[in-house]
Amino acid sequence: MTGFSNLVRLTARLCYTLSGCALAGIVLLTVTDVLLRMLKHPIVGTYELVGLLSAVVIGMSIPQSTLDHGHVLMDFLTNRFPPGLKIFLEVFTRLLGMILFLVISWNLWCFGDDLRTAGEVSLTLQIPQFPVAYCIAVSSLIQSLVLLVLALEKRKKRFSHE
Amino acid sequence: MSELAMLGLILTFLFVLFSLGLEIGFAMALAGFLGFGIVVNWDAAFNLLAKDIFSVFSSYGLTVIPLFVLMGQLGANGGVARDLYNAAYKFIGHVPGGLAIGTVGAATAFKAICGSSPATAATFASIAVPEMDRYGYDKRLSCGTVATVGTLGILIPPSVVLIVYGILTETSIGKLFLAGIIPGFIMAGSFVVTLVVWTRINPKIGPAGERSSWSERFKSLPPIFWVLFIFLIVVGGLMEGLFTPTEAGSVGSFGVLILTLIKKEMTFPRLIKAIKDTLRISCMVLTLIAGATVLGHFFLITRTPYYVATWLEGLAVPHLVIMLIIIAIYLIGGSFIEHLAFLILTTPIFLPVVVKMGYDPIWFGIIVSVVTMIGVIIPPMALNAFVVSGVTGVHRSVIYRGIYPFLIGMTICLFLYLLFPQLSLWLPYHFMR
Repeated sequence: MTGFSNLVRLTARLCYTLSGCALAGIVLLTVTDVLLRMLKHPIVGTYELVGLLSAVVIGMSIPQSTLDHGHVLMDFLTNRFPPGLKIFLEVFTRLLGMILFLVISWNLWCFGDDLRTAGEVSLTLQIPQFPVAYCIAVSSLIQSLVLLVLALEKRKKRFSHE
Repeated sequence: MSELAMLGLILTFLFVLFSLGLEIGFAMALAGFLGFGIVVNWDAAFNLLAKDIFSVFSSYGLTVIPLFVLMGQLGANGGVARDLYNAAYKFIGHVPGGLAIGTVGAATAFKAICGSSPATAATFASIAVPEMDRYGYDKRLSCGTVATVGTLGILIPPSVVLIVYGILTETSIGKLFLAGIIPGFIMAGSFVVTLVVWTRINPKIGPAGERSSWSERFKSLPPIFWVLFIFLIVVGGLMEGLFTPTEAGSVGSFGVLILTLIKKEMTFPRLIKAIKDTLRISCMVLTLIAGATVLGHFFLITRTPYYVATWLEGLAVPHLVIMLIIIAIYLIGGSFIEHLAFLILTTPIFLPVVVKMGYDPIWFGIIVSVVTMIGVIIPPMALNAFVVSGVTGVHRSVIYRGIYPFLIGMTICLFLYLLFPQLSLWLPYHFMR
C-alpha cells in the first residue's frame, strides 16, 4: 500500500512539474509573440500552441491539486457528523470520484482514437489533436488512482479510529 | 418522465452529492452526465463528457485564467504587497485607524495586479495584521479589515470573477475590466468611511501610529508607480485591442516577474511557490468550469433557462424586484455551495432573463461581482474569513464581528450600482466602442 501510494504521489508530482513548465512555456511563448508582432514577425500558430499547452497545464495539475485539497467542496455539513460517519462519507465520495475519472479517462482515450482515425489537425501548424486527448485521458487516470489512494488512506484511518 | 421532473431529480441528486462532500466540480460533471444519459442516451452522454472536458481544458480563451492568477501570485510572493502597504502606512499611519485605512489603500493598489480575493486576504493578513497588533489594534478591526479588503479584487481589474463571467457569457473581458474600476473605487471609499466612523465611535480599537517624514513618504512611492505602469499596459493594451486577454495576462505576469526580480525580492523558491499556487487555483476554477459545462448541456436539453425565465416573468413584479430576487438567490445559494461555483452554475441560466428585461450583461457582471464580494465574507462559506483565520490564528467569530460593519457600506454600494448602471457602464462605453 505504501509503495503504491508513494508511486502515485510521485507520478502526481511529476505531472505537476510538467504542468508548471507548460505554464511557463505559455508565458514565454505569448510574450515573445507579442514582442515579435511589434516587429512584424509574429510566431505563426501561437494560438494553437497555447491551446495545446493549456491542456497540459490544467489536465496535468488535477492529480496534485486533489492531493493538496485544492478543489472546493461543501464540508460544513459533513463536519458536523460523527467522526466514523464522516470518514465513511469521505471514502465513499473518493470512490465515486475515482469511478467518474475512470469513465472520463476511458472516454477521452476513445475520443483521442476518433481524432487520430479522422486525422484531425490544427488549422495553421497542422498539429495532430489526438495527443491532447490522450494527455488528458492519462492525467484523468492518474487522478482516479490518486482518489483511490486517498480512499484507502481514509479507510485505514477509519479502522484505526474504530 | 417530464423535463421538469427530471430536472428536479437531477438537482436533488446534485445537492445530495454536494452535501456528502464530493468536490463541487466533480459533482456537477457527474450529475450532468447522468442526467444527459437518462434524457438523451448513454452514448451521447459518454461523448459529451469527453468532448466538454477536452474543449474546456484545451481552450485558448480559458488560458486567461491561469495567466492572470499567475500575475497576482507573483506579486503576492514577490513582496509587491508589502511595498504598497509600506507606502500607504507612511502616508496615513499616523491618524486613528490609519493602519487599517492604509491597508485599504494598499490592497486597492495591489488589486491592480492581483485578481484573487483569498490571495490578497492571505497576503495582507501576514503583512498588515502583525503591524496593527504592534500598535494595539483590536483584532476585530485588523482581521475584519484584511478579510474585507481582499474582496476588492473581485471588482477591480484584473478580477478572476470578471474573467470567468466574461468567458461564460461571451462578454468582452476588456469592457468588464473597465466597468469594474469606478464601482471598485467607490467600494474602497466605503471601506475607508466605515473605518473612519468606526474609529471615531470607538477610538481605542485603532490607535494612531507613528508619523513619517515627507522624505520617507516620497521614498516609498516608486513601487506604486511600477504597479500602476503594469496595470496601464495590461488594461490599456486590452482596451486598444493590442492584446488578447490571454496575451495581456502573459505580459502582466512577465512584467511583475521582471519587477520583482529587479527589486531582488523574487527568489527561486518563491517563484516555485507562485507557480504552485497558480496551478492549484487555476485547476480548481477550470475543474468547476468543466463540470458546469457538462451540467449546462443537461440544463439546455431540459430547457432550464426557459423555465426559469417563464417563472420570473410570471411573477408580474417590477424588473428591479426580479433583480433583487436573483441577487437573493446568488447570496443564499452561494452561501451554501461556494460563490464562484454558484456563479458558474447559475449565470448561464439567469443571464438570458436579465438581457430579456433590457439590462446590460456588463452591468449584470458587476452586480454579480458585488454579490460575490459580499458572499465571500458572510458565513457559512466565508472563504476570506477562513483564510485570515488560518494565517492569523484568530477565531472566525472574531473576524465575522470585524466584517459586519463593512457590510453596511457594501450593501449601500450594491443598491447604488443597481439603481445607477452608468456607474459601471460609463467607462467601458466611453472608451471601448
